[in-house]
Amino acid sequence: MSRRAVVGRGLRLRWWLGEWGPLAWLGLLLVLCLGMGELEGPFRWIEPDSREVLYARSSFLALLGQHVLVVGLASLAAVMIGVGGAIAVTRPFGRDFLPLVSQLASIGQTFPPVAVLALAVPVLGFGTLPIIVALLLYGLLPIVRNTLAGIQGIDPGVHEAARGMGMTRRQILLQVELPLAAPVILAGVRTSVTVNVATAAIGATVGASNLGDPIISGIVNGNTAYVLQGAMLIGLLAITVDSAFERVQRRLVQRV
Amino acid sequence: MIELFGVTKHFGEEVAVDGISLRVAKGELCVLVGTSGCGKSTTLRMINRLIEHTAGEIHLDGQPVRTFDEVTLRRRIGYVIQNTGLFPHWTVARNIGLVPRLLKWPRQRVRERVEELMALLGLPMAEFADKYPRQLSGGQAQRVGVARALAADPEILLMDEPFGALDPITREALQLELLDLQARLHKTIVFVTHDMDEALRLADRLVVMRQGRIVQQGAPVELLHAPADEFVASLLGGDTRGLKEAALTRVRDRMLPLGPRLLAHERVAVDAPLSQALSLMLWHRVDRLTVVDDEDIPIGELSLRRLVGSKT
Ligand SMILES: Nc1ncnc2c1ncn2[C@@H]1O[C@H](COP(=O)(O)OP(=O)(O)OP(=O)(O)O)[C@@H](O)[C@H]1O
Ligand SMILES: [Mg+2]
Repeated sequence: MSRRAVVGRGLRLRWWLGEWGPLAWLGLLLVLCLGMGELEGPFRWIEPDSREVLYARSSFLALLGQHVLVVGLASLAAVMIGVGGAIAVTRPFGRDFLPLVSQLASIGQTFPPVAVLALAVPVLGFGTLPIIVALLLYGLLPIVRNTLAGIQGIDPGVHEAARGMGMTRRQILLQVELPLAAPVILAGVRTSVTVNVATAAIGATVGASNLGDPIISGIVNGNTAYVLQGAMLIGLLAITVDSAFERVQRRLVQRV
Repeated sequence: MIELFGVTKHFGEEVAVDGISLRVAKGELCVLVGTSGCGKSTTLRMINRLIEHTAGEIHLDGQPVRTFDEVTLRRRIGYVIQNTGLFPHWTVARNIGLVPRLLKWPRQRVRERVEELMALLGLPMAEFADKYPRQLSGGQAQRVGVARALAADPEILLMDEPFGALDPITREALQLELLDLQARLHKTIVFVTHDMDEALRLADRLVVMRQGRIVQQGAPVELLHAPADEFVASLLGGDTRGLKEAALTRVRDRMLPLGPRLLAHERVAVDAPLSQALSLMLWHRVDRLTVVDDEDIPIGELSLRRLVGSKT
């Protein structure tokens, strides 16, 4: 085969992954959710000693819905609070808090998510609420950090010119700072959401029901097939979300 | 007209500008020079209130700048900075139309104005309107910066080392363009630079600053002839001041009509500065040049004796 054909095929594959990748991954995720039963054979081969090899306490689709809902709510709140907070501490009135917030954002990253959960339960009790709060807190950090980096990374000359031309503070924020920081902010949101898709599974240990359930139940009962089923779905969900963000990011970068 | 009366700026303990008084008449091009950190940029930025002055008064056309709303004030004053400060996410046309849009001009009028300015600054609409700043050379980007500052036709233009980052050839081209623009538009301009040749070439009034104070001001030739002290003299070039002055005088002012003698072999243009004529004499080791007009037709001659203005 000629070199050119190989290159052409590589490009086509990249394009295909870029344009349709997120949808393809989503399709695969849904097919697996609905058709997990078809894989009973392989699972029985992995786990020959167990009576049940397919997790059946709840439908995978329902677990997926729960998972997405929890991560979605937590992320939405994290974006609003994180971006809002980072904007506030880069304004003149909030500048006193800037060092504190930016330090918290970088230290917080080293905090393990399990610890966040362990701290949330005594305060908020068991169930879905503590996991949403824990994800929100944990997801806040990359968003705050990236929004700060995005806004502070703008060429000081651009800021100087914007003020010098007579733009109001509001116009500078909406027309200059946010559009220029957008790719960096989006990268933070991407990290936050993708990490939280995985972290949410830990919520199953404190009584939230989501795609973490089969994993926890599999570990408790020594059933590797359950663990695999949960892990595969969580992995696919993370890839779907990540590739969707990748695509939006690329659009954004192309524009600038 | 811009007037500063005893203007002072403190940054905490530090005195950046120390009681300076200055008057820039309408249509005048005033150049601020001085060593790094002497308060040139601070002075400039107090005029459009990017920095608030600590004491003294700054007036525009007799009105204290403090009485203006700062946003309104800045939209009336053009501002050009060294690294252009163009918005990287906006096209050239959108960048230039910024202030007219802030002033809520109708769309059609903004578009016409942008077109007019791009023509004025030698940026063909078809080629540049839709480009982004990162696609421009340094010189083109700075032209866009100047166009943006001129967009709403401000009476006053503040320029902080606008050509500082350009190569010497592009810089000279832009200096000449600025002089050309100024001859047509008659703006009141305050221009900051480090480059003494640029300062001498552009200035109607040259202001020398040192440690937050004005040491001397006046026409470039006045300062060259009578520097107030050692500092001004050395800033203006020390013993090479003669060459700087020669750069400000044209061959036209010293040449004599063609005489009975044979034409000298080497030629110099009638509008060239004396420094160029002197350089040609040094280079070719001659003491006489033939002066030619635009069409290379001899119209006079220049001797070394005339060039140096010797009285004997
Ligand atoms: N925002 C600020 N906060 C504190 N000090 C400042 C600020 N801006 C300027 N200064 C100080 O004021 C003094 C004058 O600065 P300015 O920028 O006006 O100098 P300049 O003449 O423009 O120098 P350069 O030629 O290097 O641009 C300097 O000592 C500088 O450190
Ligand atoms: Mg400066």
